[in-house]
Amino acid sequence: MPDLLKVARQMQSGPVRAAISALCIVMSWSNAEAGPSADGSTGRAITVATWGGPYQYSQEKAYFEPFTKMSGIDINIDRYDGGLAELRRQVGNSETNGWDLVDMTMADNRAACKQGLLERIDHGILPPAPDGTQAEQDFIDGALTECGVSQIVYAMIIAYNRDAFPGDRPTRIEDLFDLERFPGARSLQKGPEANLEWALRSYGVPREDLYQSLSTRRGLWLAFERLEDIREHVRWWTSVSTPLELLVSGEVTMASVYNGRAFDAAVIQGHPVEIIWDAQIYELGAWGIPKGTRNLDEALEFIRFATGTQPLADQTKYIPYGPARRSSMKLVSTHAETGMDIRQHLPTYPVHFGTAILKDTEWYASLHDRIKVRFDRWLTRQ
Amino acid sequence: MRIDRSRPAVRTGLKFASRIALIVALGIASGTLASLAAVGFVELVAVLNEWFLISPRSRFIVDNEPLLLVATVGVPAAGGLVVGLIHRAVPGGRSHGPADIIQSVQTMDGRIPVRTGFLSAAAGIVSLGAGASVGQYGPLAHLGATLGSLVARVNRDNRWIATVGVGCGVAAVISTAFNAPIAGIIFAHEVILRHYSLRAFAPITIAATMGHVMANVVFKRPPLFRVEAITVNFAPEFLGFILVGMVGSLIAVIYMHAILQANRISRQLPVAECLKPMLAGALLGLAAIWLPDILGIGKETLRFAVIDHAFVPGELAFLLVAKILATALCIGFGFAGGVFSPALLIGILFGALAGNGAELVFGDLRSDLAIYAICGMVSVTSAVIGAPLTTILIVFELTRNYDLATAAMVSVVVSNMVSYRLFGRSLFDVQLGMRGFDLSVGREKAVLDRRFIECYVTQDYTGFAPDVSLAEAESHLLRTRRHEGYVVDADGAYLGTVKLGDLVARRQDGGTESGATVARVAQPEPLILTARTSVWQAMAEMGDFVGESIPVLEDFDNRRMLGVVFEASIVKAYLDTLKDIRHEENAGA
Repeated sequence: MPDLLKVARQMQSGPVRAAISALCIVMSWSNAEAGPSADGSTGRAITVATWGGPYQYSQEKAYFEPFTKMSGIDINIDRYDGGLAELRRQVGNSETNGWDLVDMTMADNRAACKQGLLERIDHGILPPAPDGTQAEQDFIDGALTECGVSQIVYAMIIAYNRDAFPGDRPTRIEDLFDLERFPGARSLQKGPEANLEWALRSYGVPREDLYQSLSTRRGLWLAFERLEDIREHVRWWTSVSTPLELLVSGEVTMASVYNGRAFDAAVIQGHPVEIIWDAQIYELGAWGIPKGTRNLDEALEFIRFATGTQPLADQTKYIPYGPARRSSMKLVSTHAETGMDIRQHLPTYPVHFGTAILKDTEWYASLHDRIKVRFDRWLTRQ
Repeated sequence: MRIDRSRPAVRTGLKFASRIALIVALGIASGTLASLAAVGFVELVAVLNEWFLISPRSRFIVDNEPLLLVATVGVPAAGGLVVGLIHRAVPGGRSHGPADIIQSVQTMDGRIPVRTGFLSAAAGIVSLGAGASVGQYGPLAHLGATLGSLVARVNRDNRWIATVGVGCGVAAVISTAFNAPIAGIIFAHEVILRHYSLRAFAPITIAATMGHVMANVVFKRPPLFRVEAITVNFAPEFLGFILVGMVGSLIAVIYMHAILQANRISRQLPVAECLKPMLAGALLGLAAIWLPDILGIGKETLRFAVIDHAFVPGELAFLLVAKILATALCIGFGFAGGVFSPALLIGILFGALAGNGAELVFGDLRSDLAIYAICGMVSVTSAVIGAPLTTILIVFELTRNYDLATAAMVSVVVSNMVSYRLFGRSLFDVQLGMRGFDLSVGREKAVLDRRFIECYVTQDYTGFAPDVSLAEAESHLLRTRRHEGYVVDADGAYLGTVKLGDLVARRQDGGTESGATVARVAQPEPLILTARTSVWQAMAEMGDFVGESIPVLEDFDNRRMLGVVFEASIVKAYLDTLKDIRHEENAGA
């Protein structure tokens, strides 16, 4: 070990040195920290808050289980449904043995960071890619922020029930608002996210200009006008599993869902669920560490491991979310259960990506409460 | 195998190959450079707008009313001050734009001063970044022209390279900015070069393609405008498009007059020149507190105007007037920027208004509002920049929609005809005319006005000192077989002309006193030119001239004689210029 480190230090820089250093770090864990107990348990544990469902399953397979095996640190899972309210409660209450890690949307991560709810993360701890590319270059643009390290690219899409539209099928985002051609109830998230973008996009406003346009009084007004058209037919969801339940049961014909869940319903469970990829709103998911956690070192260890090239690529075997590292994309292959090529189900698959809207997380983070208030006011208006 | 360079066929072949290589290299180099500069320019303006709370997004995010108020007034005012200070460093005290490119190219000069070019670009970036109601394509085109001219400097042997280089730069910039390569090519020819020679067409096409590649492939820039598939539903609507063209041209004329008028007011204002943009910026900012839509290019308003019922007609009309006033104020008071982007907005607001009117006439049969909005937009812009073909092609390339391009075509030509009668070919041409550079009477006048007689002066004349006797003068003239002699004093000042015929007549009349000198009988010619007389002016003044040669003085104050010009030289200069122009306009590869 020391010899190896010495070799690494003697090298000026470059990929080999980085690789050797990374190797040393990994070896030091397995020697020093995982050592004490024969069954691999050190008695240490961290609590990770995440979203449940097939997404959580993919994380267990790709991150949690290998991490525990490697480090001896157990992982307790808690449920998180987005937003900052629960996080604020966790941070404010020092009595509970609270969250050590939370898997959040980048918008929430930025907002939480701004409000001082998250620990800052030094990106220097992240391992380089297998070919030696530094982490900062390996992660896709916008993946590393002050308090966040991204692991996935996921998308909010509109899914529809194939059985509801035996003739013409919806293909474009305008169809979400077209009750004449595509009748039936809709299920949308109870909040401004995605709904405002889709509403304005349906007028033909180019995706690059959506947030500039939504920032004007008229743009916002137009978006709400469009939502007004379908308001009577919308069942608003707050839990991410609701829209698919409604869709599968036939209670609604179209619903906004995360693409991974739609994949699960359609491909794994065989429901007649189809995706409209037009105007998918993609976003990065990111790990955040709640401020003041007692297990900061363990949490950082977890992030260092779980955002490595291989675990990110492994996750795509279980759920079609795009990995946040470029080096992982090359390792993406087949779905673990069905054996099908998973690439074409990723939001970043070129055919789907042409009309994709990048969620402006800075916009949402800065406006978080104001835009929500505005939305709620519209929702309660008769 | 050795190439025998002395053989004529080989020589011609090599010359041909090097010419082709030069043309291609010129197109690639100037196109790439200009296109990169255009992308940088646009990005920089966007970043400044975000930093300085001009863009709606940044204003929306801030949520701090007092800060927003301060920024709304303070940023355009401060930007104006910076622009005013930059202008102090520019020769002529103003930023250059399309009119200056046209002047440079039409006089076959083709050189764009680098310092002026870059300072104008800087002033343009500051103006747009600070939210002034000006356009971005004018400064962009000038920046492209500057870079094209710079690239062309590597080869100073051929004069045509300079003008073609300018054309390449402009074409690349327009191609990049609009993501419309064909429109870029046509713009360079229609507005800047005003001819379609193959020699210019080839490199300009290459440059525009480079611009397109940069915009589309390398940077993947979004197109300026997107219109979904729409069609003209009802044939009689074409009558409506004609009407849109007519009224659109009137709006364009009002807009252009407003700019010129604001400029006149600004000149009469007893305020230091460099403070005037600041004044305009502060006024604009105050108005923008109530009406933020008038700040900057107003891209969001442009988007909303094509959406049915996004505005009520009253709002459209109000915004239209406000935008005309804001732009006239900013440009007239010395902000650096173009007239095209504001014309886009003014035109589209007018078009949307026309579409609302058409709904009253055609009812449900009326086509999509976007068709009317775009017809209004092109009818105003094409009249302002005097470029019907370019405008039609921009619409076609951006929308790839035949129906829309056809409708736009009708509006454009009608608008251009009307505004030509009421105003002139374009705002640029009228501005040039006001600077004494009138392109409406043909290019040869423009070129000959810039060529001075001093180039044609010859020393091939008979000069006499003032004390030469008449007999000596007569015999000298007879010996040299000349009809005229010029009397010049010791300082070289011209005193007058003596003619052989006069001298002979005087002697035969016996009126010649002994000791009479040429100084006493010399008469100043009725036609005298100075070194700075232009060939065009000389042609005009020569109409009644019957003598052998015309004396040319340094100027009328010191009367120092530089030499003479022959009538034949001036006629030759005229013919040479015509030939040069024809040659340039018909040159092959």
